[in-house]
Amino acid sequence: MPTRDLIRSATPAPDHDLWQRVRDSLGRDDHVTLRLPAIGWLEAAALGVAIGTLAVVPDPLRVLAAGGLL
Amino acid sequence: MVSRRDLLAYLIGAGVAGTVLVGPYAIRVSVASLVPEMPLQQVPFFLLPILWGLWNLVWARRQPRLGIGVWGALLGFVAAVLVNLLFLAEGVWFPAAIVLPLLLPLVYYLLWLLVVGPLNEALGVEGSRLDG
Repeated sequence: MPTRDLIRSATPAPDHDLWQRVRDSLGRDDHVTLRLPAIGWLEAAALGVAIGTLAVVPDPLRVLAAGGLL
Repeated sequence: MVSRRDLLAYLIGAGVAGTVLVGPYAIRVSVASLVPEMPLQQVPFFLLPILWGLWNLVWARRQPRLGIGVWGALLGFVAAVLVNLLFLAEGVWFPAAIVLPLLLPLVYYLLWLLVVGPLNEALGVEGSRLDG
């Protein structure tokens, strides 16, 4: 047997399917479950006051831009 | 050596803030092109991911006796005061900016409660502290 064939037969071919490696490393059950908190009156009030504030200020876009939100 | 939990906390905060930055980067350009005469102050919002990441890192390390939403609102208040001081120092302060210490804590409260908190919990940065 030629030397090259001997080496090839001794070493398994590298796995070039990287996605398969990623899938294997993640595993089948490696899921993340997001548990959102219940939305109560406090959260609704916060949203309402934020929107209301933007509604009454004379220059809402400028305020949003100043706050880094726009 | 940085612990995995600390690194995750930083990355969650920085990642959420980086996503929120779509507003300043994309919408601001559209507004500026639609309303070219509108004066839009330049704030260093590109620093927000670092600030949010560090704030979440402190949260993960110290586990203060505050809800995650209130912790975020505190950051919003600090950021709003800093922005007002920056505008004053640059001489570009405008009266409507006075509402920022009210508006930013409310927005940050919701973002931290509804986005950062659940991510922290899901990725193991904290236990089940989702109360506001």
